[in-house]
Amino acid sequence: MTRPTALIADDEPLLRELLRGHLARVWPELEVVAEARNGREAVELFDTLLPQVVFLDVHMPGLNGIDAARSIARRAQVVFVTAYEQYAVQAFEQGAIDYLVKPFDEPRLADTVQRLQERLAQAAPPDGGSLDAVIDQLSLELRKRASARAYLQWIKASVGASVRLIPVEQVAYLRADEKYTLVAWEGGEALIRKTIRELADELDPERFAQVHRSVIVNLHQVAQVNRGPNETAEIALKGRREMLPVSRSFVHVFRQM
Amino acid sequence: MNSVTDAPPPPARSVLAALTLRRVLIALGLAVLVAIVLNPVFITPFVVLLGRTLVVAMVLLLVFIAAGQWRQRWLPGWLVRVLAVGFAAPLATFVVYLPSVGGDVMAVLRHEGRLSGFILIASCALVIGPLLALGALYRERDAQARSQGLQFALEKSMLERQALDAQLRLLHAQIEPHFLFNTLANVQALVESGSPQAAAVLKSLIDYLRGAMPQLHDDAATLGNELGLVRAYLELMHMRMPDRLRFEIRVSDDLKPVRFPPMALLTLVENAIRHGIDPSEQGGQVDIGAQRDPDGRVRLWVADSGVGMSEQAAPGTGLTNLRARLRAFYGESAQVELIEQPPHGLRAELVFQAS
Repeated sequence: MTRPTALIADDEPLLRELLRGHLARVWPELEVVAEARNGREAVELFDTLLPQVVFLDVHMPGLNGIDAARSIARRAQVVFVTAYEQYAVQAFEQGAIDYLVKPFDEPRLADTVQRLQERLAQAAPPDGGSLDAVIDQLSLELRKRASARAYLQWIKASVGASVRLIPVEQVAYLRADEKYTLVAWEGGEALIRKTIRELADELDPERFAQVHRSVIVNLHQVAQVNRGPNETAEIALKGRREMLPVSRSFVHVFRQM
Repeated sequence: MNSVTDAPPPPARSVLAALTLRRVLIALGLAVLVAIVLNPVFITPFVVLLGRTLVVAMVLLLVFIAAGQWRQRWLPGWLVRVLAVGFAAPLATFVVYLPSVGGDVMAVLRHEGRLSGFILIASCALVIGPLLALGALYRERDAQARSQGLQFALEKSMLERQALDAQLRLLHAQIEPHFLFNTLANVQALVESGSPQAAAVLKSLIDYLRGAMPQLHDDAATLGNELGLVRAYLELMHMRMPDRLRFEIRVSDDLKPVRFPPMALLTLVENAIRHGIDPSEQGGQVDIGAQRDPDGRVRLWVADSGVGMSEQAAPGTGLTNLRARLRAFYGESAQVELIEQPPHGLRAELVFQAS
């Protein structure tokens, strides 16, 4: 009978070594055929070596463990490895998915190994259904956590020779200036290439409002709004002299205030 | 802080605002007093006399307030207001006499009784009006000074509150469990394999934990101590990703005693790892440096060659609070700047006036 085979994927080399050492004690017959440093490598190595068991760290650069599992699932027994992702542990528990928590605890590893051995002995196909659901759920969660917010958090603007990252909360207003858009923030003014229309879509509407065809204002920086002729208005900003126009079609922004 | 430069309100409204009940009562009271004092000299009935002094008093009060609204640059504001009241006193008295003679100017000047009445009322107004104006001006200035003092106290208390908030946030979950458990798993690996590295790594972990624990006293808040914390953190990260992280700390010894808010530099270094190095398969380099600018300010930077920060990247509470913390620590001139580092990566700079 051939020895069972496994792949270990973790971006931290000492942890790959650690898991390899524990497996050698708990499951001496298991042959670790390869180690991967990230999700992309894991998928590539899996496709060439086709091991029966894959240990996937959840948090890896590039392709994370969850997304790597998407390409591997159903073709191997997948065991996730995680340090403290509570949301992940919850999802694994609910979906009855195999997982290990770092730092490792040998009796727990032994339980997992026993389940894997039973499944390999029955030649049972990996349970695809619940794994797919958990992968979808966690993939979404990870993307949410990995910084990608729906709205702009920074405005990248050229100031002198360098590109500054300006936190949006420091921006007072944005005003169309021919082909460019002028950004006025606490530290000065700069031109960016994005148009007012693009910015209106990308900025958080809770904080920013378009008040004129060519002007977006940070509502937190408005000192007062003065009513003008013909249903227009003018905005005075905190700590700034310049006034911003509010055109008729945007006056409603301030109506309820 | 929020120095609100409101647009000036329309003149009509501010005149009304300046026309306080107190001012009106004082003006009316004095008018009554003048009428009582002058009554024995006049042959006109008391009510007519009182009417005249009341009108003159109200006109002078309005002139005083209106002159305060007039924006000009040639004369000091208080002088304009006192002069305006002085000029208005005889003029208003004269106008008050006109209705009784059907608007005939000469009728006032020719009639001896009316002329002396006019002179009496006008001189009373001329003496009392400007004196009262000076008194009101003094009170106004006093109130202004008090409101400025209040404003100042308010700003100060807001700064203090911000510093306190930042400290409170520091007390909460400073050490990320994900970081701690991953690091402990690495230590476990070193210990189990009997690696001689284990002792050194444990020392880094202890240094990091000690530095990251909330400090109740700020005595240890120096740049040197912060650099010790940052070095311990980077040593641990380097153990975890030896193939992906390189780092260098270059700060001259003479800057190390500078007072520095705890965790401020660590926040930037953690940000460089989280957004720059960790998401990259190749990893990169983190350089930390400091210098004293010719103007005496200290410039401190963390530059990484990672993947850079996306425009949607959530700044994290540490980075969001950093500016407020620095300002509470060093004053308003302290700055945080994030700059893209070509060809890829991020450079964060702190600039502050250190004592």
